[in-house]
Amino acid sequence: MKNLLILTLLLLVSGCEPFVVDFSDLSTPKKFEAANVDLNSKTYQGGGIKVLTWNMRFGVGRFSFFGDSCGEDVIADEQTITQTMEAIAETLTVIDPDIVLLQEVDLGSKRTGYWNQVQYLLNNTPLNYGVYASVWEVDFIPTDGIGRVNMGNAILSKYEIGPSERIQLRLRTDQPDYEQYFYLRRNILKSEIPELASSSQKKFYAVNIHATAFATDDTKEKHVVKYLEILDDIHSDGHVFVSGGDLNAVPPGATIDYCMNDICEGESYHVDGIDPFHKEGSFFDNFIGEPDILAPLYQLYDPAIAEDFINLPEHYTHAPSTSMLGEDAIRKYDRKIDYLFTNLEWDDMSGHTHQACWELSDHMPISATLSNLTED
Amino acid sequence: MVKVLILLTALLVSIIRGGNANWDSHSAHIMPPGKWSVGIFQPLRFGLKEGLELSSHPGWFLVLPNASFKIPFADFKSFNTATKVSFVYPTPLLNMLSREGIGGIIDPNLTIPPMLGVSGSFIMSREVLRVNLTAKTGLDFGLVFGDLDTRSNIDLPIVYHRLEVFQNGWGWHTGLDLETKLIKKVRIFIDIDLRFIPDTGKRGKGKNYAMRSGDYSIEHKMLLIWEYSSKFRIMTGYKLVSGDYPYGKQTRLLPYIPFVEQWLPLIELQWLR
Repeated sequence: MKNLLILTLLLLVSGCEPFVVDFSDLSTPKKFEAANVDLNSKTYQGGGIKVLTWNMRFGVGRFSFFGDSCGEDVIADEQTITQTMEAIAETLTVIDPDIVLLQEVDLGSKRTGYWNQVQYLLNNTPLNYGVYASVWEVDFIPTDGIGRVNMGNAILSKYEIGPSERIQLRLRTDQPDYEQYFYLRRNILKSEIPELASSSQKKFYAVNIHATAFATDDTKEKHVVKYLEILDDIHSDGHVFVSGGDLNAVPPGATIDYCMNDICEGESYHVDGIDPFHKEGSFFDNFIGEPDILAPLYQLYDPAIAEDFINLPEHYTHAPSTSMLGEDAIRKYDRKIDYLFTNLEWDDMSGHTHQACWELSDHMPISATLSNLTED
Repeated sequence: MVKVLILLTALLVSIIRGGNANWDSHSAHIMPPGKWSVGIFQPLRFGLKEGLELSSHPGWFLVLPNASFKIPFADFKSFNTATKVSFVYPTPLLNMLSREGIGGIIDPNLTIPPMLGVSGSFIMSREVLRVNLTAKTGLDFGLVFGDLDTRSNIDLPIVYHRLEVFQNGWGWHTGLDLETKLIKKVRIFIDIDLRFIPDTGKRGKGKNYAMRSGDYSIEHKMLLIWEYSSKFRIMTGYKLVSGDYPYGKQTRLLPYIPFVEQWLPLIELQWLR
């Protein structure tokens, strides 16, 4: 009887888990391991370290999702998800990075058929280990049929991942409370990779960020400042990092207004008296200094795509999935908002924007190779 | 607020379909002719004639047409026995929930075809050591007259497994209810029910897209009942639902208020005439 009462009490307590998961400033991300860890690749044998960042748009490819484009669809069908996830896994296998920084990875979301995309990619690529930090974890979202969502940032690696932190970024302040309650909790995911440390004093970190996309207040500034603070701490402590992600910010010198590129049927922007004047997420001058918000990163660290080339079309990384040039022509990419940096040095000309992947996401992956770590 | 309504609706649907937690409605006893009872969340029960009880929730009838009939069987080894047959037509309500914006519970691009849910239960009741004991078991059938997209599921406790019957074609339910007097005018009601959907897919190797998986749900309810008079009573308590869903196992205490992240006791008023 006593055991039954204890069991009932435990069940009652477990039944009160929060509907929307909130996170403390620092928390521990979930760890994953491939079903079959490749014992040969998990040990660093010398040579360059290839790093890749990719906002994989929860594996739906160019699916016309209602939430981030002019789309109207909500729950992706099995064929779309299966084909896209297989293609993403194949792409990662062909590029063969040692470390992958992923944004918008789904882990049991209804919109993607409840896939565990982290585990799938570990099981179907040469990558062995993973950590995942949720950005959006809600039991049930009662709008547009979304239902359950769990989406986040992930770091995948051939080498074992050591201590990791999920670092909470500030929430948007330009939303009503009820909207913010169900909204994203963006974060920076920081992981130590002991296998790549050149000594016990010089640790190797991978840092992954997905900064705010749609904020019209100073949230993006806060996110980038926090990001810089984390990278600066690693650097000033004498450690090394590879870092990147979807910063949702254009590089210095880039066009700042994409409202008319991203406009959907029935919308009006740049019209006096019509609010909002600019489309959320398509305008990059919401606060003083926003157009140059990434300049310190370029000044302090080595970018995978050199500053001279960042505004060239061959390095654009994004356009909304339903962005059209005309009746039939899809605009594949028109801006750069994804980045890779290190406080070491990338191999000359190793930085590459993989625009051939445009069908697999609304973001293009970027990869670059670090010089031989043993020579550091 | 929308979420609260969803959970309350889920609770209501559970009570309508489960048919327990009102005056003897969970038992094999039949409402006498001309007598009726009703609650806020519970259906109107009416004794149509000797040996035939009708129950339905009139407040929801326009969007969720539903009706149950209970008829007695011969006593079996000091047990009263009865059978209950329930019908529900969820299509109008589900199509109302398939909408854009707040309140959209189902993908607005999906249309729910005409569907009829039919449940049959065999119920046995008797008093043992001053405890009213009821055991029941039965089958649920989901008849679908058109194409039902697997993406139209609602991944909420209580609701998911009841709707999964329409995807699967059939399911099985069983349960046990206990009710006894605690003190003078206070009674306690405890039940536990299992719903099982055979042949539902399982997540795992080779099955990544798992819109249909999670085959069982266990629902437990405890209510304290204050019998104010022979015609009116107030109940309070909780409902605990633990089950396997497409996203994994989950236990949830209801009613749960999302915005304040807190459980609130269920309160029910019931009248009998």
